[in-house]
Amino acid sequence: MTDFQQQALQLASQQQNSPVWLRPLRGEGTGQWQRASWPGRRTELWKYTPLQALQRTEFQRWGRALPQGVGSASLLPLDAIRLVFVNGVFDAQASTEPHAQVVHFSAASEPQRALIEKHLGRIVNTERHLFASLSNAWVQDGVLLHVPRNVILDKPVYIVHVSIPEAEAVIVNQRLLVVLEENAKAELIEHFVSDAQAQNSFVNSLTEVSIGNNAELQHYRINLEQEQLIHIGGVHIDLQRDARYRGFTIAEGSQLKRLDYQINHRGAGAHAALNGVYLPRNNQLVDYHTNVEHWAPHCTTSEVFRGIISDSARAVFNGRILIHPHAQKTLAELSNRNLLTSDKAEVDTKPELEIYADDVKCAHGATVSQLDDTAMYYLQSRGVSKTQARTMLSFGFINELLQELPRAEVRDYLHHHLAILFGTATDLS
Amino acid sequence: MTEQVESLIRKDYSAGFHTNIESDTLKPGLDEDVVRFISAKKEEPEWMLEWRLKAFRAWQEMVEPTWAHVHYPTIDFQSLSYYSAPKSMADKPKSLAEVDPELLDMYAKLGIPLHEQEALAGVAVDAVIDSVSVVTTYRAKLEEAGVIFCPISEAIKRFPELVRKYLGTVVPQKDNFYAALNSAVFSDGSFVYIPKGTRCPMELSTYFRINEINTGQFERTLIVADEGSYVSYLEGCTAPMRDENQLHAAVVELVALDDAQIKYSTVQNWYPGDKEGKGGIYNFVTKRGICHRNARISWTQVETGSAITWKYPSCILKGDNSVGEFYSVALTNNFQQADTGTKMIHIGKNTRSTIVAKGISAGRSQSAYRGLVRINAGAEGARNYTQCDSLLIGDRCGAHTFPYIESKNSSAQIEHEATTSKVSDDQLFLCQQRGLNAEKAVSMIVNGFCREVFKELPMEFAVEAGKLLEVSLEGSVG
Repeated sequence: MTDFQQQALQLASQQQNSPVWLRPLRGEGTGQWQRASWPGRRTELWKYTPLQALQRTEFQRWGRALPQGVGSASLLPLDAIRLVFVNGVFDAQASTEPHAQVVHFSAASEPQRALIEKHLGRIVNTERHLFASLSNAWVQDGVLLHVPRNVILDKPVYIVHVSIPEAEAVIVNQRLLVVLEENAKAELIEHFVSDAQAQNSFVNSLTEVSIGNNAELQHYRINLEQEQLIHIGGVHIDLQRDARYRGFTIAEGSQLKRLDYQINHRGAGAHAALNGVYLPRNNQLVDYHTNVEHWAPHCTTSEVFRGIISDSARAVFNGRILIHPHAQKTLAELSNRNLLTSDKAEVDTKPELEIYADDVKCAHGATVSQLDDTAMYYLQSRGVSKTQARTMLSFGFINELLQELPRAEVRDYLHHHLAILFGTATDLS
Repeated sequence: MTEQVESLIRKDYSAGFHTNIESDTLKPGLDEDVVRFISAKKEEPEWMLEWRLKAFRAWQEMVEPTWAHVHYPTIDFQSLSYYSAPKSMADKPKSLAEVDPELLDMYAKLGIPLHEQEALAGVAVDAVIDSVSVVTTYRAKLEEAGVIFCPISEAIKRFPELVRKYLGTVVPQKDNFYAALNSAVFSDGSFVYIPKGTRCPMELSTYFRINEINTGQFERTLIVADEGSYVSYLEGCTAPMRDENQLHAAVVELVALDDAQIKYSTVQNWYPGDKEGKGGIYNFVTKRGICHRNARISWTQVETGSAITWKYPSCILKGDNSVGEFYSVALTNNFQQADTGTKMIHIGKNTRSTIVAKGISAGRSQSAYRGLVRINAGAEGARNYTQCDSLLIGDRCGAHTFPYIESKNSSAQIEHEATTSKVSDDQLFLCQQRGLNAEKAVSMIVNGFCREVFKELPMEFAVEAGKLLEVSLEGSVG
């Protein structure tokens, strides 16, 4: 066992007040974590993503509440059911009034607890996501978003995780469970953000989503943290009959950032759309692994990921679509396009198709290129400076995905953020 | 419709006869003595034995790769025999007239009558049965042009400097488990050398056949195209029907020096096993070529045989402006499994590569494309285009795509596309509506699906490949 594996177990034993009813799951997670071999270059799922950053740091304890609250981190101006966590600790002051549909595990009522026990740790695919078993081993509290049958949430749910450096390196374990029952509808925004100081924490986040028959979830997951932060995250989704999942994710790089999406089509006629943008710079790394499994017939998947990799950064993308036998009449498409803007940048992409049913239409495409010379020439010939032309074209490359976002506040926030990132004063929208 | 497809797929293996030739076979097992025995039998020089032993020692340290998308029982490498030669080879034939007529008959059954090939096609054939090269036709004419085309065992004796200079430079002894095994025990294969500025006057061809029971075949091919030369090389393979699985672990190395061109075409029709998945060849092959400046290597393969195929013909594009191409059709039926694809390693500037892979799965077979496109930091202006399409016939088969793309240069352009679908009902309907039966319609559609690859094959091979596909698919439409 590596130092980090041991540290992780040590930290789990520090959580002495863990609720009794979560202990079976903790035990299961601990067992899996202990048995798991530490991923290295020969581990297919971690081939391009070294975990040295985790090994280098000594994580001594869990995050604590801080007096400064969210500090200088910028939040979305949104009329929403807002829950704010700072270094993993709930900040009631920065959050809105408690809401009946959004509760902490620790405050769950008897039926809610039954719901948590039924779903928590049951949607996640720990086979492909090692750090999910760690999340199970560490589970202490979390948030349940439960939307009952035929209910449409009138406001979006906005969950913010703020990281602010403490004197010692700390660990944050984030857990969210979303249960949408039949015909329910909700909008969820998960926002990971930090202040501008150099971070030293490790965030292990895990979101499990169960979408019932004909229910619908619109989900944003925004990862814009300072580059020293280590973030390993997972989103695991189960879709029942005619359920719909529309997801969008954006990530800046960090010294180690790995995000897994697992989507299971369990009922016929389900639809999943997932779009993503990654923008690593400097020496950062972003690794997106998506795995869509079709278990039922007549389901559709559409996945589009685009990345701009600059400086000495590295991006890893792995998009797997797996069609099990009997999942006939599946339509699945995946596209991954990458823009390398520097000679030191690197991208490793691997779109995968694994198909065991015959009456399906599946396609994937991947490209790696630089900015189009003719487009650059065209803009320059019209008096646009080279730098500005680059910015315009780079932004246009990802804006196709941003434009489609239904929530204007998210769109505007990201446009503003990207304008700063691309170092331009011009309004990018 | 499904039943018709099924009846189309079901067709017997027409190359599955066994020829009664007395042969000299080494008892099963593998140790240093076996390596020494093979080397001695081949009257090899000391350096060659050392080279083999080095490979053997490395092999002992290695473990079988398990990452491929294929499943098979563990192979007991000690239960195989590592050398088998037709007895009549003991007093080697000097010309075709002296060759055992039964052997020649066997080739005729396979559709490669040596005499005919000599006369009609002008193709020079080197036929390898089990482990020994039987005869090389057309040698005199080639020698006139300065082309060396002979069994590698002979080349080791006659042109040791040449062999020594290039052997193992593209596929090192320790490259992988099967390449190491091959390096230790390879018994024969072909050696080709095309001198500077020479265009090989005819197409060269090797025919491989595994005849003996319980033997592994390990042939080694080395092709060196010197500066500015050109060669087109064809390779065909068959094996008799047997209940046991047989192992075939070959290594092919291509060296294309500055401005040279090598075109390597394969039609692989090893015995695929029966309808229950019993028997068949395990085909674990390492094929790789290196391109120097302005050179071009083109791999074209039609893979219809073997119970298991594990094969990735690759190109190392070392020189500036070099070109690598890979065109492949892999058809699997019944219980066949194929994990095949290519690697294109771009090192030089302005290097280009094209990959077109077509997979057809029928019955209960599994077919996977696995490819790597790597653009190194110095590969300024590199360009890759990849297209992999899979066609599924029947609902119990599988088709998979695992492309790895690694780019470290911003001026490189890489495009990858893959699609998977079944034979479309609309297309079938259209054909049937015009009076074609379902079987013919599927065969037409499949042939159209593979057209891009077939057009890369030399003419005689393209015809053979088309037929082979039709035969292999028989019984799969219904």
